[in-house]
Amino acid sequence: MTDQIPALAFLAPFGTAICLPLVGHWRNGLCRPVAMAAVAVMAALSVAGLWGVYASGEIRYSLGGWEAPIGIEWVADKIAAIMIATICFVAGVSLVYGGVIEDRAMRGRAIPYYTMILLLIAGLAGAVYAADLFNIFVFLEVVALAGYALVGARGGRALMSAFRYLVMGALATTFYLLGLVYFYAATGALNIADLGGRVPGLLGSKAVLGGLIFIFIGLAIKMALVPLHAWLPDAYADAPDAVSPLLAGLVTKIALLVWLRIQYWAVAAESGDPAAHVFAVVSGLGIAASVGGAFLAMSQRELKRIFAYAGVSHVGLVLIGAGQANQTGLAGGLFYLANDAVMQCGLFVLAGVVAFRYQARSLDDVGRARIRNPWVLGAFVVVSLGMVGLPPTGGFFGKWYILLGALEAGNYLAVAAIVLTTLLTLAYLLRILERLFRNGGAARGSGSRSMPFALRLSLAAPPVAVIGLGICGDPIIKALLDSTSGLGL
Amino acid sequence: MIQSSYDSVIVRRIGAILVPLVQLFALYVLFFGQYGPGGGFVAGVMIGTSLIMDLLVFGREGKAPTAAERALSGDGIGLVVFAFVGGLCLIGGGEFLNYSDMPVPGIDGASRRYVGILLTQVGVAVDVAVAAVSIVFSLSRDDSLGVPHE
Repeated sequence: MTDQIPALAFLAPFGTAICLPLVGHWRNGLCRPVAMAAVAVMAALSVAGLWGVYASGEIRYSLGGWEAPIGIEWVADKIAAIMIATICFVAGVSLVYGGVIEDRAMRGRAIPYYTMILLLIAGLAGAVYAADLFNIFVFLEVVALAGYALVGARGGRALMSAFRYLVMGALATTFYLLGLVYFYAATGALNIADLGGRVPGLLGSKAVLGGLIFIFIGLAIKMALVPLHAWLPDAYADAPDAVSPLLAGLVTKIALLVWLRIQYWAVAAESGDPAAHVFAVVSGLGIAASVGGAFLAMSQRELKRIFAYAGVSHVGLVLIGAGQANQTGLAGGLFYLANDAVMQCGLFVLAGVVAFRYQARSLDDVGRARIRNPWVLGAFVVVSLGMVGLPPTGGFFGKWYILLGALEAGNYLAVAAIVLTTLLTLAYLLRILERLFRNGGAARGSGSRSMPFALRLSLAAPPVAVIGLGICGDPIIKALLDSTSGLGL
Repeated sequence: MIQSSYDSVIVRRIGAILVPLVQLFALYVLFFGQYGPGGGFVAGVMIGTSLIMDLLVFGREGKAPTAAERALSGDGIGLVVFAFVGGLCLIGGGEFLNYSDMPVPGIDGASRRYVGILLTQVGVAVDVAVAAVSIVFSLSRDDSLGVPHE
C-alpha cells in the first residue's frame, strides 16, 4: 500500500482542486472545508509516506506502469518525504490562519482562490516527487501560475507586483527549459537517475556546461538568489496576508531543492572536474546572498518586507551549505531548508496577525500598537530564536551542520559569512523585538481581547514545529546524511 | 460583443451544415486517434472550434452557445474524468494510469488499455473544448476585468 503514496499524496490536493469549481458552484461555503480536508488527507498520507520510506526504503513510482527511462518516474526518498511533510505543515497552517484573516475579502471569489491554493500545493508536491527534468518543469510552472494569481488576488498595487513576478517567473522557466533542452541534446536523457550516469563524463562538453548554467540561472531567479531577488519582496509584501506564509514558506525553497537534486543527483560532484568550480561559484553566491539579504532586511521598515528579505538571506545560507561539496554541508543545507520553510511560515503568520488585529504593518506601527498578547509575543520570540539559530531550535542544528560543512571544506570565508549573517539576523529581529516590548503600561483595547482559536493555533504551530525539529534534529540529519551517502561526495 | 446572429443567409446556411460536420469529424478523430493521427487534444480543439463557429454565426441565442456557457462552470470535468480513470487503476492495484489494472469486468488486458486510453482522451477533449470556448467568452465579455480594489 505504501508504494502508492506518491500518487495519492499528489492527487489529494490536485483532484480536489479540479473538483472544487463543481463543489463551489453547488455550495460556495464548502470551498474552505473541502480544501482543508484535502490538505488533511495529504498530511495523513505524508506521515504514512515518512513511515513507509523509513521502514522500507525509497519508493520509485512509475506512472502508468512504464519503467523509468521510457516512462515518467516519481521518487519518494527520505528527502522527498521530509519535504512533503513540511509542505503539508505549512499548507495546513496557512489554511487555518487564512480562514480567519482573509475570509471576508475572499468570500465572493472562494472558488478560484482555494482552487489556486490547492493547485499550488499540488504543484509543489509534484516538483518534489518528480524525478525527471521535464516533469519538474511542468510542476514548477503549475506552482508559478498559481503563485502569480495568488499574489495579484487583492488587486490594486498587488497587480503590479504580480506582473513583475510573472515576467521574472516566465524568464526563469524559459532559462530552465533552455538548459533542459541542452541537457537533452547532449545526453538524450531527462530522467535524473539516467542523467547521473551520463552527465559526469560529458562535463567538458559546452552543451552540458551551458545547460548547467541556464538551469542554474532559471532556478536562481525562482529561489530569489541575491542579484535576481528583486521580484520577491514586492510579491510577498503585496500578496494577500493569508497566502504570503504559503508562498514565502515554500515556493523559493522548492526551487532550491530542485536545483540541489539536479546538481547533486544528475551532475554528481567529482573533485578535479569542472563541476568543482560550480561549487566554488555557488558557495560565493550563497555568501553574497546571505550577507546581502541580511543587510537589505536591516534597511526595511515594513514587517513583511523584513521577513521577505530574511528569506532571501536564508536561501543564501542553504546555498553555502550546498556549495561546500561535502555531505555534512549538504545534509545541513537540506535540514535548514525544511526549517526555513517552517520559520518563514511562522514569521509571515505573525506579520498577518499583527496587521489583522493591530493594523500594524511597519516597525513604527508595531511600536505604537502596544501588543500585549502572549501568543503573538511568545511565537515571535521562539521563531526568532530559530531564525538566529539558538540551540533548542531546528535552526541551530541546520546552521551548525552548514558551519561544520564549511569548516570541513576549509572555507573560512563561508564560516565568517555564516557568523555575520547570524549577527545581522539577530540585529534586524531585535529591532522588531525592541518595539514589541517597548512602552510598558496598559495594553490597548484590542490587545486584551482574546484571539480566536484558529489564530492561536496557527501562531503556536510554527514555534512548536521549530522546537520539534530541533529535538528531532538528530534522526532527521542522520536520514539526510544517509540519503546523500550514495552521491560520491 | 457577440450579440445577434450574422446578417447573411449564406453564412448562416453554410454554418448550419458545417458545424455538425465538424463535430462529427471531431468524434471520428477522437475514437480513431489510437490508430491514426488525432486524439483527445485535436478532437477537443475541433469541438471547441465548432462551438465558437456556432457562436459567431448564430450569436448568443443559438443552442450551442447556451450549452457552452453553461458548461463553463464545469471547467474541470475533463480533468475529473482523467483523474477518475487514473484513480480506477489505483483501485485495481496498479500504478496511476496503468490501464491494464483497471477493474473493468469481462475484458482482457489489451481491451482494458483501449478503454482506458479512450476514456482519458475523452477527458482531454472535454477540457480542451471548454478551454477554447472559455477563451472566446472571456475575450468577448466587456466586464471581464472584474478586479476588485481595496
